[in-house]
Amino acid sequence: MDFSIRAANVEDCKDIARMIVELAEYEKMTEHVKITQRDLEQDGFSKNPFFHGIVAEVPEQLRTKDGHTKIGYALYFYSYSSWAGRAVYMEDLYVMPEFRGKGIGKALMSKVAQLGLAAGCNQLNFTVLDWNQSSRDFYMSQGCSDITTSMGYHCMRCEGEALQHLAQP
Amino acid sequence: MEYKLRKAEPKDVPDILRLVKELAKYEEMEHQVALTEKDLLEDGFGETPFYHCIIAEIQGESSSEDPKVVGFAMYYFTYDPWVGKQLYLEEFFVMNEYRGLGMGSEILRHLSDLAMKTRCTGMMFVVAENNAPSMQFYKRRGAEDLSQEEGWRLFRFDKDSLLKMATPAEE
Repeated sequence: MDFSIRAANVEDCKDIARMIVELAEYEKMTEHVKITQRDLEQDGFSKNPFFHGIVAEVPEQLRTKDGHTKIGYALYFYSYSSWAGRAVYMEDLYVMPEFRGKGIGKALMSKVAQLGLAAGCNQLNFTVLDWNQSSRDFYMSQGCSDITTSMGYHCMRCEGEALQHLAQP
Repeated sequence: MEYKLRKAEPKDVPDILRLVKELAKYEEMEHQVALTEKDLLEDGFGETPFYHCIIAEIQGESSSEDPKVVGFAMYYFTYDPWVGKQLYLEEFFVMNEYRGLGMGSEILRHLSDLAMKTRCTGMMFVVAENNAPSMQFYKRRGAEDLSQEEGWRLFRFDKDSLLKMATPAEE
Protein backbone atom coordinates (compact mmCIF):
# COMPACT_ATOMS: atom_id res chain seq x y z
CA MET A 1 0.00 0.00 0.00
CA ASP A 2 1.21 3.46 -0.86
CA PHE A 3 1.61 5.57 2.29
CA SER A 4 3.99 8.13 3.77
CA ILE A 5 5.03 9.04 7.29
CA ARG A 6 5.93 12.62 8.23
CA ALA A 7 6.20 14.93 11.22
CA ALA A 8 2.85 16.37 12.30
CA ASN A 9 2.23 20.10 11.90
CA VAL A 10 -0.39 22.35 13.47
CA GLU A 11 -2.84 21.79 10.58
CA ASP A 12 -2.93 18.09 11.43
CA CYS A 13 -4.48 18.71 14.85
CA LYS A 14 -8.05 18.34 13.54
CA ASP A 15 -7.29 14.84 12.22
CA ILE A 16 -5.18 13.93 15.25
CA ALA A 17 -8.05 14.98 17.56
CA ARG A 18 -10.42 12.84 15.47
CA MET A 19 -8.10 9.81 15.67
CA ILE A 20 -7.48 10.29 19.42
CA VAL A 21 -11.24 9.84 19.91
CA GLU A 22 -11.25 6.81 17.56
CA LEU A 23 -8.40 5.24 19.57
CA ALA A 24 -10.25 5.97 22.83
CA GLU A 25 -13.36 4.29 21.37
CA TYR A 26 -11.26 1.23 20.49
CA GLU A 27 -9.92 1.23 24.08
CA LYS A 28 -13.52 1.57 25.39
CA MET A 29 -12.63 4.82 27.17
CA THR A 30 -14.27 7.57 25.06
CA GLU A 31 -15.67 9.34 28.14
CA HIS A 32 -12.09 9.96 29.35
CA VAL A 33 -11.24 12.28 26.42
CA LYS A 34 -11.35 15.93 27.50
CA ILE A 35 -8.73 17.35 25.13
CA THR A 36 -9.83 19.50 22.19
CA GLN A 37 -8.22 20.31 18.84
CA ARG A 38 -7.23 23.69 20.28
CA ASP A 39 -5.50 22.12 23.29
CA LEU A 40 -3.44 19.98 20.91
CA GLU A 41 -2.49 23.03 18.85
CA GLN A 42 -1.32 24.90 21.97
CA ASP A 43 0.32 21.97 23.74
CA GLY A 44 2.06 20.41 20.74
CA PHE A 45 2.96 23.29 18.48
CA SER A 46 3.98 26.22 20.63
CA LYS A 47 7.53 27.23 21.60
CA ASN A 48 7.89 24.50 24.24
CA PRO A 49 5.82 21.55 23.01
CA PHE A 50 4.72 18.90 25.50
CA PHE A 51 4.54 16.22 22.84
CA HIS A 52 5.55 15.51 19.25
CA GLY A 53 3.52 13.80 16.57
CA ILE A 54 3.99 11.86 13.36
CA VAL A 55 1.22 11.24 10.85
CA ALA A 56 0.65 8.48 8.27
CA GLU A 57 -0.96 9.64 5.03
CA VAL A 58 -2.29 7.89 1.95
CA PRO A 59 -2.71 9.43 -1.53
CA GLU A 60 -6.08 10.98 -2.49
CA GLN A 61 -7.21 7.92 -4.46
CA LEU A 62 -7.06 5.79 -1.27
CA ARG A 63 -8.95 8.25 0.96
CA THR A 64 -11.68 6.96 3.30
CA LYS A 65 -15.36 7.36 2.45
CA ASP A 66 -15.39 10.44 4.70
CA GLY A 67 -12.52 11.92 2.68
CA HIS A 68 -9.66 11.37 5.14
CA THR A 69 -6.12 10.85 3.86
CA LYS A 70 -4.49 11.09 7.30
CA ILE A 71 -5.13 7.57 8.50
CA GLY A 72 -2.70 6.93 11.34
CA TYR A 73 -0.57 8.75 13.89
CA ALA A 74 1.81 8.39 16.81
CA LEU A 75 2.31 10.84 19.70
CA TYR A 76 5.55 10.71 21.67
CA PHE A 77 7.69 12.74 24.05
CA TYR A 78 11.06 12.42 25.72
CA SER A 79 11.34 11.06 29.21
CA TYR A 80 14.13 9.92 31.51
CA SER A 81 15.07 6.75 33.31
CA SER A 82 17.14 7.25 36.46
CA TRP A 83 18.88 3.95 35.57
CA ALA A 84 19.24 4.13 31.78
CA GLY A 85 19.06 7.84 30.99
CA ARG A 86 17.29 9.31 27.97
CA ALA A 87 14.14 7.54 26.90
CA VAL A 88 11.28 8.12 24.49
CA TYR A 89 7.68 7.48 25.51
CA MET A 90 5.19 6.55 22.81
CA GLU A 91 1.90 7.83 24.20
CA ASP A 92 -0.37 6.89 21.27
CA LEU A 93 -0.05 4.63 18.21
CA TYR A 94 -3.09 4.27 15.95
CA VAL A 95 -4.01 3.21 12.44
CA MET A 96 -7.62 3.41 11.18
CA PRO A 97 -9.18 -0.10 10.99
CA GLU A 98 -9.43 -0.27 7.18
CA PHE A 99 -5.70 0.49 6.83
CA ARG A 100 -4.40 -2.10 9.27
CA GLY A 101 -2.30 -5.13 8.36
CA LYS A 102 -0.30 -3.18 5.76
CA GLY A 103 2.78 -2.31 7.81
CA ILE A 104 1.68 1.25 8.65
CA GLY A 105 1.72 0.69 12.44
CA LYS A 106 5.15 -0.87 12.19
CA ALA A 107 6.37 2.05 10.06
CA LEU A 108 5.05 4.61 12.58
CA MET A 109 6.71 2.80 15.48
CA SER A 110 9.92 2.43 13.52
CA LYS A 111 9.93 6.19 12.91
CA VAL A 112 9.48 6.87 16.66
CA ALA A 113 12.39 4.47 17.33
CA GLN A 114 14.57 6.30 14.78
CA LEU A 115 13.75 9.71 16.23
CA GLY A 116 14.39 8.41 19.74
CA LEU A 117 17.75 6.92 18.83
CA ALA A 118 18.73 10.15 17.05
CA ALA A 119 18.00 12.00 20.30
CA GLY A 120 20.25 9.61 22.23
CA CYS A 121 17.52 7.50 23.83
CA ASN A 122 18.15 4.04 25.24
CA GLN A 123 14.55 2.92 25.72
CA LEU A 124 11.12 3.24 24.15
CA ASN A 125 8.30 2.87 26.69
CA PHE A 126 4.52 2.74 26.27
CA THR A 127 1.44 1.12 27.84
CA VAL A 128 -1.03 -1.41 26.47
CA LEU A 129 -4.35 -2.53 27.92
CA ASP A 130 -4.22 -6.05 29.29
CA TRP A 131 -7.24 -7.27 27.25
CA ASN A 132 -5.78 -5.88 24.00
CA GLN A 133 -4.25 -9.19 22.97
CA SER A 134 -3.69 -8.33 19.29
CA SER A 135 -1.68 -5.24 20.25
CA ARG A 136 0.23 -7.13 22.95
CA ASP A 137 1.10 -9.84 20.40
CA PHE A 138 2.15 -7.24 17.81
CA TYR A 139 4.49 -5.48 20.25
CA MET A 140 5.99 -8.69 21.64
CA SER A 141 6.68 -9.85 18.05
CA GLN A 142 8.68 -6.62 17.57
CA GLY A 143 10.97 -7.54 20.47
CA CYS A 144 9.73 -5.66 23.52
CA SER A 145 9.16 -6.85 27.09
CA ASP A 146 6.12 -6.53 29.36
CA ILE A 147 7.59 -4.67 32.36
CA THR A 148 4.39 -4.99 34.37
CA THR A 149 4.77 -8.77 34.19
CA SER A 150 8.57 -9.05 34.48
CA MET A 151 9.10 -6.38 37.18
CA GLY A 152 5.62 -5.98 38.65
CA TYR A 153 5.51 -2.28 37.78
CA HIS A 154 2.11 -0.67 38.21
CA CYS A 155 1.22 2.69 36.60
CA MET A 156 -0.13 5.06 39.24
CA ARG A 157 -1.82 8.45 39.07
CA CYS A 158 -2.82 11.16 41.57
CA GLU A 159 -5.36 13.52 40.07
CA GLY A 160 -8.29 15.85 40.81
CA GLU A 161 -9.12 16.11 44.51
CA ALA A 162 -6.32 13.79 45.55
CA LEU A 163 -3.77 16.02 43.79
CA GLN A 164 -5.28 19.19 45.30
CA HIS A 165 -5.24 17.62 48.73
CA LEU A 166 -1.61 16.59 48.36
CA ALA A 167 -0.69 20.16 47.39
CA GLN A 168 -2.11 21.60 50.65
CA PRO A 169 0.45 22.68 53.25
CA MET B 1 16.12 18.16 62.48
CA GLU B 2 16.08 21.12 60.13
CA TYR B 3 15.97 20.42 56.45
CA LYS B 4 15.26 22.39 53.33
CA LEU B 5 14.07 21.62 49.80
CA ARG B 6 15.61 23.34 46.81
CA LYS B 7 16.08 23.00 43.07
CA ALA B 8 19.05 20.83 42.10
CA GLU B 9 22.12 22.52 40.63
CA PRO B 10 24.95 21.06 38.52
CA LYS B 11 27.08 20.62 41.66
CA ASP B 12 24.45 18.20 43.04
CA VAL B 13 25.03 15.65 40.28
CA PRO B 14 27.38 13.40 42.34
CA ASP B 15 24.80 13.32 45.17
CA ILE B 16 21.97 12.61 42.72
CA LEU B 17 23.86 9.63 41.33
CA ARG B 18 24.68 8.41 44.83
CA LEU B 19 21.00 8.53 45.81
CA VAL B 20 19.88 6.90 42.53
CA LYS B 21 22.21 3.99 43.34
CA GLU B 22 20.99 3.81 46.94
CA LEU B 23 17.39 3.59 45.76
CA ALA B 24 18.32 0.96 43.18
CA LYS B 25 19.97 -1.02 45.99
CA TYR B 26 16.74 -0.75 48.04
CA GLU B 27 14.88 -2.18 45.00
CA GLU B 28 17.59 -4.85 44.62
CA MET B 29 18.47 -3.47 41.17
CA GLU B 30 21.82 -1.80 41.77
CA HIS B 31 23.49 -3.46 38.77
CA GLN B 32 20.90 -1.87 36.50
CA VAL B 33 22.14 1.70 36.99
CA ALA B 34 24.05 2.54 33.81
CA LEU B 35 23.90 6.33 34.21
CA THR B 36 27.07 8.32 34.88
CA GLU B 37 27.64 11.78 36.40
CA LYS B 38 28.42 13.04 32.89
CA ASP B 39 25.02 11.80 31.61
CA LEU B 40 23.19 13.41 34.53
CA LEU B 41 24.99 16.71 33.95
CA GLU B 42 24.32 16.83 30.19
CA ASP B 43 20.77 15.55 30.46
CA GLY B 44 19.62 17.66 33.41
CA PHE B 45 21.52 20.90 33.05
CA GLY B 46 22.01 21.35 29.32
CA GLU B 47 19.97 23.43 26.89
CA THR B 48 16.96 21.09 26.88
CA PRO B 49 16.76 19.25 30.18
CA PHE B 50 15.32 15.74 30.05
CA TYR B 51 14.61 15.83 33.78
CA HIS B 52 14.30 18.17 36.75
CA CYS B 53 15.33 17.49 40.31
CA ILE B 54 14.58 18.78 43.78
CA ILE B 55 16.96 18.09 46.60
CA ALA B 56 16.37 17.70 50.35
CA GLU B 57 19.36 18.70 52.44
CA ILE B 58 20.11 18.96 56.15
CA GLN B 59 22.54 21.31 57.84
CA GLY B 60 25.94 19.95 58.74
CA GLU B 61 26.59 19.05 62.36
CA SER B 62 28.77 22.09 62.94
CA SER B 63 28.66 25.47 61.20
CA SER B 64 31.84 24.68 59.26
CA GLU B 65 30.38 21.47 57.81
CA ASP B 66 28.68 21.46 54.40
CA PRO B 67 24.96 20.71 54.26
CA LYS B 68 24.25 17.08 53.42
CA VAL B 69 21.99 15.93 50.60
CA VAL B 70 19.73 13.25 52.06
CA GLY B 71 16.80 13.00 49.64
CA PHE B 72 15.70 13.89 46.14
CA ALA B 73 12.95 13.65 43.58
CA MET B 74 13.47 13.46 39.82
CA TYR B 75 10.57 14.46 37.57
CA TYR B 76 9.63 15.64 34.10
CA PHE B 77 6.51 16.67 32.20
CA THR B 78 4.54 14.23 30.07
CA TYR B 79 1.35 14.43 28.02
CA ASP B 80 -1.85 12.44 28.12
CA PRO B 81 -3.80 13.22 24.92
CA TRP B 82 -7.05 12.65 26.82
CA VAL B 83 -6.49 15.09 29.69
CA GLY B 84 -3.32 17.03 28.91
CA LYS B 85 -0.10 17.77 30.78
CA GLN B 86 1.02 15.47 33.58
CA LEU B 87 3.90 15.69 36.02
CA TYR B 88 5.78 12.41 35.95
CA LEU B 89 7.59 11.44 39.12
CA GLU B 90 10.50 9.28 37.96
CA GLU B 91 12.40 8.87 41.19
CA PHE B 92 11.70 9.74 44.81
CA PHE B 93 13.95 8.77 47.70
CA VAL B 94 14.90 9.77 51.24
CA MET B 95 17.92 8.07 52.84
CA ASN B 96 16.92 5.40 55.35
CA GLU B 97 18.41 7.10 58.38
CA TYR B 98 16.53 10.36 57.63
CA ARG B 99 13.05 8.94 57.22
CA GLY B 100 10.15 9.68 59.53
CA LEU B 101 10.92 13.42 59.61
CA GLY B 102 8.27 14.38 57.07
CA MET B 103 10.74 15.01 54.22
CA GLY B 104 9.00 12.55 51.89
CA SER B 105 5.59 14.09 52.48
CA GLU B 106 7.00 17.56 52.00
CA ILE B 107 8.67 16.59 48.70
CA LEU B 108 5.39 15.14 47.49
CA ARG B 109 3.49 18.23 48.60
CA HIS B 110 5.97 20.47 46.80
CA LEU B 111 5.64 18.45 43.58
CA SER B 112 1.83 18.34 43.75
CA ASP B 113 1.78 22.09 44.20
CA LEU B 114 4.16 22.47 41.24
CA ALA B 115 1.92 20.18 39.16
CA MET B 116 -1.09 22.36 39.90
CA LYS B 117 0.80 25.61 39.27
CA THR B 118 1.98 24.31 35.86
CA ARG B 119 -1.58 23.26 34.98
CA CYS B 120 -0.97 19.52 35.04
CA THR B 121 -4.13 17.50 35.58
CA GLY B 122 -2.30 14.67 37.30
CA MET B 123 0.93 13.38 38.77
CA MET B 124 2.00 9.97 37.50
CA PHE B 125 4.56 7.41 38.57
CA VAL B 126 5.28 3.69 38.72
CA VAL B 127 5.43 1.46 41.80
CA ALA B 128 6.54 -2.18 41.95
CA GLU B 129 3.66 -4.33 43.19
CA ASN B 130 5.90 -6.07 45.74
CA ASN B 131 6.88 -2.72 47.27
CA ALA B 132 4.08 -2.73 49.85
CA PRO B 133 5.31 0.25 51.94
CA SER B 134 5.44 2.50 48.84
CA MET B 135 2.08 1.22 47.55
CA GLN B 136 0.50 2.03 50.92
CA PHE B 137 2.23 5.44 51.11
CA TYR B 138 0.76 6.49 47.76
CA LYS B 139 -2.67 4.89 48.06
CA ARG B 140 -3.13 6.52 51.47
CA ARG B 141 -2.64 9.84 49.67
CA GLY B 142 -5.28 9.10 47.04
CA ALA B 143 -3.21 7.60 44.21
CA GLU B 144 -5.05 5.24 41.86
CA ASP B 145 -3.44 2.06 40.59
CA LEU B 146 -4.21 2.34 36.85
CA SER B 147 -2.69 -1.08 36.15
CA GLN B 148 -5.09 -2.70 38.57
CA GLU B 149 -8.16 -0.53 37.91
CA GLU B 150 -7.95 -0.06 34.14
CA GLY B 151 -5.61 -2.84 33.05
CA TRP B 152 -2.67 -0.79 31.72
CA ARG B 153 0.56 -2.73 31.29
CA LEU B 154 3.94 -1.03 30.83
CA PHE B 155 5.93 -2.28 27.84
CA ARG B 156 9.50 -1.49 26.97
CA PHE B 157 11.92 -1.77 24.03
CA ASP B 158 15.52 -1.76 25.21
CA LYS B 159 18.41 -0.36 23.15
CA ASP B 160 19.00 -3.54 21.10
CA SER B 161 15.38 -4.05 20.10
CA LEU B 162 15.08 -0.28 19.47
CA LEU B 163 17.94 -0.49 16.97
CA LYS B 164 16.31 -3.46 15.24
CA MET B 165 13.01 -1.64 14.99
CA ALA B 166 14.54 1.54 13.68
CA THR B 167 16.04 -0.26 10.68
CA PRO B 168 13.28 -2.35 9.14
CA ALA B 169 14.32 -5.35 7.03
CA GLU B 170 14.36 -4.88 3.25
CA GLU B 171 11.08 -6.11 1.74
